[in-house]
Amino acid sequence: MKRKLEITDGNDFLKYLTKEKDISDQIINHSRSMISIVNRDYIYEKVNSTFCNSHQLVLDTILGKSLGDIWGHDTFQNVIKRNVDLCFSGKTVKYEALFGTPKSGKRHFEVVLRPLSVEPGKITHLLAETFDINDLKKSKQAVKEKEEELRKFETNLPIGFLRCDPKGKILNANKAFLGITECHDEKSINNVNLRSFYLQEQLFDIQIDQLKDCHSMNFGRVSLKNCSGKEIPCRISGFLAVNKSGAPTSIDFAVEDCSRELMLENRLLQAQKLETIGALAGGIAHDFNNILATISGYSEMLHDDLPKNSDLSDKVSKIQGAVKKAQSITNQILTFSRQIEQEKVLTNVSEVLKETIGFVRSSIPSNVELKSRIPKMKANVLADPTQLFRVFLNLMTNAIQAMEEHGGLLSVNISIVEREFVLHELNRAIVADEYVLLTFKDTGEGMDPSLMGRIFEPFFTTRDVGKGTGLGLSVIHGIITEMEGEILVSSKRKEGSVFNVYLPVSKNYSDLKAATVCRKKILFITGNKYESRILSLALESAGYELIYISDERNFVNIITDTKERPDLVIYMSDSRQIKPEDLVKIFSGLKIVTPCILITDSVEELSDEKLLNSGIIKQHLTKPVSLKEIRNAIQELIR
Amino acid sequence: MPGILIVEDDKSIREMLKLSLLRNNYTVIEAENGKDAIVHFKPLLTDLVVTDLIMPEEDGLKVIIKLKELKPSIKIIAISGGGKAGPASYLNLAKALGADAIYTKPFSINDLVAKIEELLDNEQHT
Repeated sequence: MKRKLEITDGNDFLKYLTKEKDISDQIINHSRSMISIVNRDYIYEKVNSTFCNSHQLVLDTILGKSLGDIWGHDTFQNVIKRNVDLCFSGKTVKYEALFGTPKSGKRHFEVVLRPLSVEPGKITHLLAETFDINDLKKSKQAVKEKEEELRKFETNLPIGFLRCDPKGKILNANKAFLGITECHDEKSINNVNLRSFYLQEQLFDIQIDQLKDCHSMNFGRVSLKNCSGKEIPCRISGFLAVNKSGAPTSIDFAVEDCSRELMLENRLLQAQKLETIGALAGGIAHDFNNILATISGYSEMLHDDLPKNSDLSDKVSKIQGAVKKAQSITNQILTFSRQIEQEKVLTNVSEVLKETIGFVRSSIPSNVELKSRIPKMKANVLADPTQLFRVFLNLMTNAIQAMEEHGGLLSVNISIVEREFVLHELNRAIVADEYVLLTFKDTGEGMDPSLMGRIFEPFFTTRDVGKGTGLGLSVIHGIITEMEGEILVSSKRKEGSVFNVYLPVSKNYSDLKAATVCRKKILFITGNKYESRILSLALESAGYELIYISDERNFVNIITDTKERPDLVIYMSDSRQIKPEDLVKIFSGLKIVTPCILITDSVEELSDEKLLNSGIIKQHLTKPVSLKEIRNAIQELIR
Repeated sequence: MPGILIVEDDKSIREMLKLSLLRNNYTVIEAENGKDAIVHFKPLLTDLVVTDLIMPEEDGLKVIIKLKELKPSIKIIAISGGGKAGPASYLNLAKALGADAIYTKPFSINDLVAKIEELLDNEQHT
């Protein structure tokens, strides 16, 4: 709206001018931006009130002062001057900077400088408009940080995330997915249909259809293939997003590599299978020994009755020879099924290995080279040295036989590895602090992956019929398992095999002994006594008395018997019969204050906070747990 | 003639042992489990016991403890074929409990008879 200006005399004009100036001053003063006018000597000539208020300065202390006086000479030289000079050259300048007075503190500002001409054709001043962008900057920074954090979270998680269009075309994939599929170029994945990563592509179509019905689905294990076509077992779930009218807009997939999980599952299955076969074979061996005793007894009597060197006595001798062979087989089966107790003594593994290598060297074929590296070390384990010799001899003989035809190299190594190294290599609930690792590597025939899982089964052999009984490796397995060790094999057809033997280093537990002058009782609740043997050995050698139970009835009996009452309870979550909640129920019901250590598979397993808050569980450890951790926990709870 | 008690649940082994001992002119008493052996034990007629370890009813370890109690001078030989509890440990336990000799099945019957002779010989001399 335009105001009509009516001026009749000079006085009025002056009044008008003053009024106009008042108004414009007011407008300027009340502007939300800080406004100032600076001359060519960098001196402030005019500033508005917002400027003074924002910087907590008084008008008189600014006017006539230079930019350097107000903002500090460093800030002036480094930040302000070059922008101001640029403006005096005739340009409008916009910049962001951090400055402030000692009173107001430094803040982020956006500054716009405009050249001003009081005399025509000459830039005499500049108009500076300054906006406080500190809060804006801060919130921008916060958003950026949050974004980075989310990105980190998304990239560090080992789970692949994908956003696809409703047909499955990949729009976006995170690093983890690239890692799982071993596709190193992000661009090569975009616009590819996820379907092409499925080993069975039809399965993908079915899953997309299912998603259209349910919107969110866990598909369980699905076989994908990586960029080079190798199969990767994955766990996949999908989430379908729809728009307001219900039409699908995108599908998000979460892809988790479960090959390690699968491998461990298979290994556990193998171990259970061997355990079952062992129990079965052991029972048969026992009955067989009884039968052999009868055969042997009668044939001896018969042999005595017959004239010496007669045809008949020769035949009886043959029967006796057969009995001896049969006995050797039953003995091997009993060793495999761990029913022959080994007389264990503290044995230096490297000494036994050296001895075996010396023994093998004398009979090695000329086309096979034997390389061994045995550093001086203290590798003491609890073992029967003869059995250990048998293990090493058997592994080396097997390796040499695998290279008999084409020759090759057998390398034998020994080292000591810490628990961190074996933690994920060995699938055990309880691991020792240190292991001796023995490696027997050959460049022989190798094995088919399908056979690898079965080689420790008794009577399983890849050799021709009549060559060996197929008991060698199962006997080795029995001996090593009995020692709380583990034997792992990896092999490639035509390339060779590697056998890794892990034996727990025997430690002196006298440190614990001192803490347990009077024999403390520990109640061990576990469903898998076999897994816990390494713990029981260590604790028993340290002077604790261990009581095992796996069913609830016994538990109540023991815990209520004041004479038998344990000083500590260790509970392993694999016990099927007693659940953690039962434990807490029984404890609180009977008002028992015995401290309890809980060992579970994962942290989540104890999601029921009631258990932890009940005060009964004093320590919570997750598998795999080392002897050291358990020892520390015990020592903390019973002094 | 010295009397020998055979405690063994496996009939064929028991008969084989019996035949062999009879051939060597011993008097033989049989029991088919530990309980039977303890209940019907005749101290005056028995000089030596050959006992299996893993048996129904009372096991061989109980036989060793009980018979040593009833007749401290008695000689005992334990035999075992290996079972779920581990033969070696059982046999060692038998030895610790006072068995004079232990044998793992299958054993040589001639060795066993020689051992019996040796143990009974010592008995006569002392």
